Amino acid sequence: MSKLKDPLQQIYRVIIGLIIVGFVYVIWPYISIVVVMLVLAFLFTTILLPVVDYLERKIKSRGLSVLIMTIIVIAVISVFLGSFTSNFIKQTKEFSSQLNQDDYISDLNSFAEKAISSLPEFMRDIIPKTGNMTDKLQGQVSEFLQNLLSFAGAVGSFVFTAVMVIIFTVIILYGYYHFRKSLVRFIPNKYFEIGLRLIFNIERSVSSYLRGQLLAATSVAILSIIGLFILNAFGANLTLVVFIGIIAGLANLIPLVGPFVGMAPAILIAFMNNLGNNVALGHKLFGILPSPFFIVDIILMFLIVQQIDNNYVTPKVVGESVGLHPILVMIVLLIGGTLLGPLGMLFAVPAAGVIKVVGQEIAFVSRNAYLL
Amino acid sequence: MENAFWGNIFKGWRKEENPTVLTLKQVPIFKGFSNKQYREIENLIHERTYKPNEYVFKKKAPGVGMYIILSGKVEIFIEEADGKKQTLAELKEGDFFGELSLLDEEVRSASALAKEHSTLLGFFRPDLFSLLERNPELGNKILLNLARVIGARLRKTNELLTESQAAE
Repeated sequence: MSKLKDPLQQIYRVIIGLIIVGFVYVIWPYISIVVVMLVLAFLFTTILLPVVDYLERKIKSRGLSVLIMTIIVIAVISVFLGSFTSNFIKQTKEFSSQLNQDDYISDLNSFAEKAISSLPEFMRDIIPKTGNMTDKLQGQVSEFLQNLLSFAGAVGSFVFTAVMVIIFTVIILYGYYHFRKSLVRFIPNKYFEIGLRLIFNIERSVSSYLRGQLLAATSVAILSIIGLFILNAFGANLTLVVFIGIIAGLANLIPLVGPFVGMAPAILIAFMNNLGNNVALGHKLFGILPSPFFIVDIILMFLIVQQIDNNYVTPKVVGESVGLHPILVMIVLLIGGTLLGPLGMLFAVPAAGVIKVVGQEIAFVSRNAYLL
Repeated sequence: MENAFWGNIFKGWRKEENPTVLTLKQVPIFKGFSNKQYREIENLIHERTYKPNEYVFKKKAPGVGMYIILSGKVEIFIEEADGKKQTLAELKEGDFFGELSLLDEEVRSASALAKEHSTLLGFFRPDLFSLLERNPELGNKILLNLARVIGARLRKTNELLTESQAAE
């Protein structure tokens, strides 16, 4: 009888499994946004949990600790976004008005001509004619300003998602230990201790990775700001220095690609601010290497920051917390980027870390199945 | 409907009547705490029920924490090389076991099996560590009590060893 029962049970389980997979597939488009919100909320909880625990230790109230933490986080994000938006719009407007001035256009044209003439002959035909280029740039900047309104709509949906993520984060932070206890309750006795080990190891791995990355990002931001100020002392004429530093730090959260993304705003602003300045155009790095608009200086500065981060900061603060091979990191990033874009690249490595920990635990359990 | 005049409408007002807290108070590791501290420990404790002859854990499995018996009986035993079972202890309501796993990640030195329908309270290392972060005063009290329990077991082991050496 029991011999007959087992295959039947297995067929029953497979059918139930297929029904569940089918159901998730059908409802996924409707729930995907909520799932993304919850994943984000869990990641923020992991980062903020030690701070809330620390506050709770000091003021002896979980609710008050979560409230203080939420106010601080919202204040910091609001100040940063508000200040960044106003400064960015100011910078774009200035650039737009500069573009409308004739000397500026002739400067841009002469720079483009110089740059093209320095190229080998076969490449010159590929580059569009300078007149077209400035027209295009003028058109694109005014188009960008017009697009700001439609951009406001996208901001609205972003704000809604952000508010929901904050609400979820607050709820999870407040009842974190209670949620974990409720989750553990569903583990069968046989897998109870192994389940606890798994949850603990995932928590440890993800939180140490995220905190390490955050510390590394902070150090990259601070070092970039210092570096940009040093370049300004040599006449680089860079504005929005603090924001460029913070963007470089945030971009650093995406492994491999991030550092190059972080460089882009600094190069763009150096170009925008210094166009028409012949001293900046003729600038040479260490008096030898031509570096128009301090572009080579900026690249070198970011490379130095990356070297300091990669060799001294990241190994100390991130360490072997996730411990993935660089090739695997690259593959995981490509998969994450293809599936979810930049957000996918940001979460690819911690997600791979979770899969690795789960895999290790499954391997451990299968090796020691007699212990269950 | 309960009669408000004669019925005990005050039942449940005394928090210490909670069976989990009452059991915790009997365990040396959780002795001497305030009611607020007991409530905090209660939030960290996992209540598990086991059927008769169900393993709580097996020897050589990695240990994660300790168990306190709320009700029922648990047998602690080892299997010798010839497969013979050697019972080390039979524990009942209020007893506790596996406390060394709160301190290290070593494997279990014996197996634990529920002898009858049992309800156990589990207190685990990750929860102790998080408690030490959030409420070091309470976490340290537990650690100090744990050290006392381990010290008492060591002293007892020492006595037994001395007696057995004297008998030889």
